[in-house]
Amino acid sequence: MDVVIFRRKLRNGLIFFALVVGAVFMLFPFLWMLFVSLKKTGHGFLLDFAFAKPFFANFKAVWNNPSFPFSRFFLNSLIVATSGAFLTALFCSMGGYVFAKKDFYLKELVFWMMLATLMVPGMMYMVPQFAIVTKLGWINTYKGMIIPHVANVFGLFLLRQHMETIPNSLLDSAKIDGASEWQIFRTIIVPLSLPVITTVFLLTFLFQWTNFLWQLVVNTPDSAKLTLPVGLALFKGQYSTEWTKLMAASAFSIIPIAVLFIAAQRFFIEGLTAGAVKE
Amino acid sequence: MIENRKLRATVTSYLFLAPFLLVFLLFLAWPVIYSFYLSLHKVCWSTDLYNVFSDMKLVWFQNYKQLFKDSHFWWSLIVTAYYALLTIPATIFLGLMLAILLNNKLPGVSLFRSAYFLPNVLDILVVGIIWTFIYSPHYGILQKIFNLLGIQTFAREGILANPRTALPGIAIAMVLRGAGFGMILFLASIQNIPKSVYEAAEIDGAGPWQKLLYVTIPLVKPIILFLVVMGTIASLNAFTEIYAMTQDGGPFAVHFMGEIQGATKLSGYYLFEKWSQMKYGYAAAISYVLLAITLVISIVNARLLRRKQ
Repeated sequence: MDVVIFRRKLRNGLIFFALVVGAVFMLFPFLWMLFVSLKKTGHGFLLDFAFAKPFFANFKAVWNNPSFPFSRFFLNSLIVATSGAFLTALFCSMGGYVFAKKDFYLKELVFWMMLATLMVPGMMYMVPQFAIVTKLGWINTYKGMIIPHVANVFGLFLLRQHMETIPNSLLDSAKIDGASEWQIFRTIIVPLSLPVITTVFLLTFLFQWTNFLWQLVVNTPDSAKLTLPVGLALFKGQYSTEWTKLMAASAFSIIPIAVLFIAAQRFFIEGLTAGAVKE
Repeated sequence: MIENRKLRATVTSYLFLAPFLLVFLLFLAWPVIYSFYLSLHKVCWSTDLYNVFSDMKLVWFQNYKQLFKDSHFWWSLIVTAYYALLTIPATIFLGLMLAILLNNKLPGVSLFRSAYFLPNVLDILVVGIIWTFIYSPHYGILQKIFNLLGIQTFAREGILANPRTALPGIAIAMVLRGAGFGMILFLASIQNIPKSVYEAAEIDGAGPWQKLLYVTIPLVKPIILFLVVMGTIASLNAFTEIYAMTQDGGPFAVHFMGEIQGATKLSGYYLFEKWSQMKYGYAAAISYVLLAITLVISIVNARLLRRKQ
């Protein structure tokens, strides 16, 4: 009997060890980034503990860099991600509501058109969307970065799926009480769908925050609206050897998302894996 | 009366749908057609550069003909397939292993779960830059570890400047970033497998490997298939990691169809390159061919799924 218990303990110990090794491997790049970002200039490659003085000197230097103002990039990223997420969550909720609860002309056609665009790989939209944004004169604007991505078909489907489960009797009784369509949406649909709306909001925030290609395409390098990833790419072009500063700049992009993820993990994981569960 | 009610519902519905639909039509539906229109045109010497998209020359299918003969394009498809081959099986394998390890009652399991998933939500560009630093020649941390082990193969150029190792190096970074996604899906599915199935296998004398091979893997097959499709599409879309980790499509690798080709110039990157050279018509043609490839993959996948059911 003791042998059995011993073997189980040994097995669990080995599994635990394997899990730790796995976590070290997968998180090492980020821990290394944080470590190097705190080091003295020129010590990026050295395996020592020569930290910068003051401790956050690299962060401060990058934040206030005159030609690459990361404070500005950060603000831009925040504006683009927040307003993009807000508009997406709003538009998708409104659309999801009518797809879940209304019967209207051409519903099927619109639905299939939306489904079809889900098949189109994102990369292929680059050229035509760039052409449209150029024609609209939206280059170097927040609009140009935000608007083309607020019609999130996946988000609409996710919300529709949830809103279908809201009982019709609730809506009917509100109607009898004289509520307008907008009131029904505001006071019944939105509160009852809040977890899914939050998921869509957070996923869009994440998408906009980390979207590099599109923000590179709609901004010229001298734009005042550069976001963190684009600013970082330009910064790397100029200061490719100043790794301590480069890592501090990277941390500005990574830390907010990591914090957000830890705080709202459930929403992220549910939303990101929702596409697979359908299969 | 019913007609009247549906008409009224239609008006309200489209009022609610209007903001979404407007953006959808302009930025998602119309571009599919517009892109084809652009692919039949070309920016030429007479094009007004301040009004490029209204002043391109109609050349019919010349872009497609040229594309068909373009060695760089064919090469980009080969490298894309190679990248898919490097990333997809490794991501699936690692995800499955992590899920199996996590499917034990151990302290801190949920903490590990979060730790493995976390890299998934982080910026690909930033992850790429961090890895470039880790891979640095001579002084990079990885080279220091290699020095301890006596490996000098990568010392001079570093992993990313060597045509043989550049793409695998990028793939390793992306596999470690992406494995947590598969892990979550596998874990959910493994936890749904009834204990009795494993017990029955044990009675039949199955060891842990046999249980993995004959019970777990067949039951998570739909997820494997899903990850293969997602991975293929991700490879066709791959751009940011290439941009972050190598310059201009990587170190020159081989002669192919009479020209020297970049080791990491994937289709997505090639498309971007043509865009940045203002060859908009040509880039649109590349997009269309990539779209066709994606559709074929989706259809094959749908067939495979249906056969299973």
